[in-house]
Amino acid sequence: MPAPETSPPLFDVAVVGGGLVGTAIAWGLARQGQRVAVLDEGDVAIRPSRGNFALVWLQSKGLGMPAYAAWTKHSTDLWTGLAAELREETGIDVAYERRGGFQLALSEAEVAARAAMQRRLHSQPDMVVYPYEMLDHDAVARMLPAIGPEVAGGSYCPLDGHCNSLRLLRALHTGMQRRGARYLPEHRVEHIDPQAGGFRLRHQKGELHAGKLVLASGIGNARLAPMVGLAAPVRPQRGQIVVTERLRPFLPYPVATIRQTDDGTVLLGDSQEEAGLDDSVGSEVTAVIADRAVRMFPRLAQANVVRSWAALRVMTPDGFPIYDESQTAPGAFLATCHSGVTLAASHALALAPMLAGGSLPAQMRAFTARRFDVPPTA
Amino acid sequence: MSKTAALNPSCQLVVIGAGPAGLAAATTAAKLGVDTVLLDEQPAPGGQIYRAITETPVTKRSILGMDYWHGAELVTAFRSSGARHVPGTTVWSVTREGEIGFSVGGAARLIEAERIILATGAQERPFPIPGWTLPGVMTAGAAQILLKASGMVAEGRVVLAGTGPLLWLLAAQYLRAGGRIVTVLDTTPPANRRAALPYLPNFLGSDYLGAGIALLREVKARVPVIGDVRSLRLLGENRVREVVYQSGTAPERRIGADLVLLHQGVVPNLNLANAIGCRQEWHEDQLCFVPVIDAWGTSSIERVAIAGDGAGIAGARIAAERGRLAALEAAHRLGRIDAYRRDAEAVAPRRAITRFDKGRRFIDLMYRPRAEHRVPQGDTLACRCEEITAQQIVEAVKLGSTGPNQMKSLLRCGMGPCQGRLCGLTITELIASARGVSPADVGYFRLRPPIKPITLAELASLPKSEAAVQAVVRG
Repeated sequence: MPAPETSPPLFDVAVVGGGLVGTAIAWGLARQGQRVAVLDEGDVAIRPSRGNFALVWLQSKGLGMPAYAAWTKHSTDLWTGLAAELREETGIDVAYERRGGFQLALSEAEVAARAAMQRRLHSQPDMVVYPYEMLDHDAVARMLPAIGPEVAGGSYCPLDGHCNSLRLLRALHTGMQRRGARYLPEHRVEHIDPQAGGFRLRHQKGELHAGKLVLASGIGNARLAPMVGLAAPVRPQRGQIVVTERLRPFLPYPVATIRQTDDGTVLLGDSQEEAGLDDSVGSEVTAVIADRAVRMFPRLAQANVVRSWAALRVMTPDGFPIYDESQTAPGAFLATCHSGVTLAASHALALAPMLAGGSLPAQMRAFTARRFDVPPTA
Repeated sequence: MSKTAALNPSCQLVVIGAGPAGLAAATTAAKLGVDTVLLDEQPAPGGQIYRAITETPVTKRSILGMDYWHGAELVTAFRSSGARHVPGTTVWSVTREGEIGFSVGGAARLIEAERIILATGAQERPFPIPGWTLPGVMTAGAAQILLKASGMVAEGRVVLAGTGPLLWLLAAQYLRAGGRIVTVLDTTPPANRRAALPYLPNFLGSDYLGAGIALLREVKARVPVIGDVRSLRLLGENRVREVVYQSGTAPERRIGADLVLLHQGVVPNLNLANAIGCRQEWHEDQLCFVPVIDAWGTSSIERVAIAGDGAGIAGARIAAERGRLAALEAAHRLGRIDAYRRDAEAVAPRRAITRFDKGRRFIDLMYRPRAEHRVPQGDTLACRCEEITAQQIVEAVKLGSTGPNQMKSLLRCGMGPCQGRLCGLTITELIASARGVSPADVGYFRLRPPIKPITLAELASLPKSEAAVQAVVRG
């Protein structure tokens, strides 16, 4: 006798992937009144949503693609509303704070490199306008009194912030299920067949049918996208993070690589390493992370490290997200990025309504994977 | 610190843990000419079972029992073996590539080893009943450490509750040292007898049988023992005051207590092995995870062997023999002895293992703790560091969290100071029970270094390559 799960239920949308990207979209779709199924893998899987740094971050993003800067800014603008709605709906406080954030430099050379990068970013044509400033040591010290003498300066953007990303994941899971979305763990999708009126997904426990399809399975998108005429040239990029025991609050603003959580622990990040699917942690990189953190905030020297970990970012060739819809299998969409926290609000409140509507509007064309189809001789 | 300063940055074999398995492994390997370093957390060799064997203030041999003093022979042999001993060491990381990170006296060091033997022993099984985190409640093992290391026994009304052979050993040691125990509450389910009975004949040949019976008699002659204890709860405002329990089908009873010692057996300490990535599997008789190893103790990671109770609970005598086997294999793989000699030297340890293993199945089945004492309910804490209740875990299972690693991201359970080292088994069994599946299907926390806390300054002091700097610094 077949188990109940194998008899095909009907869903408007099947979202493949139960991380931050998948659940933000699924919550947003459910909020639009869509009947949603979220298919996910099990307890051990490649899950950057469990290992991210939890910044809601704008500064320095979008050099090479102003549309990404605008999309990111839009998300940070929507974030306050997302946090409020999730709190009201689930009772979960995702601890979003938008007081501004810093990127700190440990030498004059680092300050100069940072300033040059910001100039190039903001002088791009069609670049979205938002405030930021370069600060010297004293100006930084007025806002972050705990910095050490080695901090030469830094950049500050008042729109940056951070949240508790584990609670964000829990709130999205709780919220989407309250709104009727069906969460299906241990349903790794093996194959997808486009068919009349929708899609048939073969998963580890049977089959599921849905009218529309959203691929939001991170690295897994590379495997699934070609089944519906899409492309996801993504690769894992390792980021190692170190976390301390709980400390008394000393950091009123997040720094791009150091932030104090609302629990009191301090997260120190994060590396960018090409290591394939190896998510092991090594002392060489964590030693650099620790060394830079202690030089930025000397009081951290005696803090105990309780854990370190590595997560695998989902990287595209140019580092920008892909949002795409299939030309050959209408109703199949793809979303992938390495900033599932920052972009959660855009995904839930801007992208999901587009998907519910059935097509991506012109403003999203910049994000298609076809941008990688450059003739080899060009 | 001078000792580590003199330590080479690499060696052939690192043994971690100086209990019976580690001492025997280091001794055997060093005597075969292997360049061996023994890292251990304690100031003196012996591990938990032979803790403070060289310096305990408890000099009257009969108090701790003759089995304890067996450890002295292992220490003597180790001291003349040529292996280097680095006491007071916190090992916080071991990589698959053989790099071991450890701290001594506040300074972090790295050492490279061609082979590694983990001899990290056992830890007590969690006992998550209502009130188990109240001040005045401790594990029987912790009380035993105080007794061995400083000769201390508690004042006031002591109640000992739980099951397992070590419960009776501790009770006897405690009484001999002048401690007073008001009552022993034996939580062993009577139904276990039926399951264990077929293995009784084998147990009758065990070296442990006579000693075990003598211990039981000794304790029962001096302390009231209440059997078939269930529904155990500990009450008190700021510290424990009362123990509430049922014996069989009798009505609930209460006894006053100033100190409650809990114990329901030991399980392998797999924290380091797990963090390295050694495969482990569920052991249904012993109700715990054990590492997957071959006949020499080699784990799924070829460089790493696991010996002693960390490879599966079997007791101190077998631990030492398994340590010898792992050392023989290490010496063989390092080219010190050929396979013929390895196999010849392994005959005696294997014979001893067969002898001391008699009755293990009987003991495992006889002392399987009750489900209600392993799987907490309602607002009883499952993860004490983050104060996560059993009910919260059950609710997260309903939300679709199928295993401990998803649970960790949803609830922070296992993310506090203990990093899941203490609550791991409880969380797995709780999820399994809520899902109605075996713990084998649920799996275990994926632990990450540092396995013990180190300071950022220590971590920052380690060598950094240019590639590592490039991976972190950006414009």
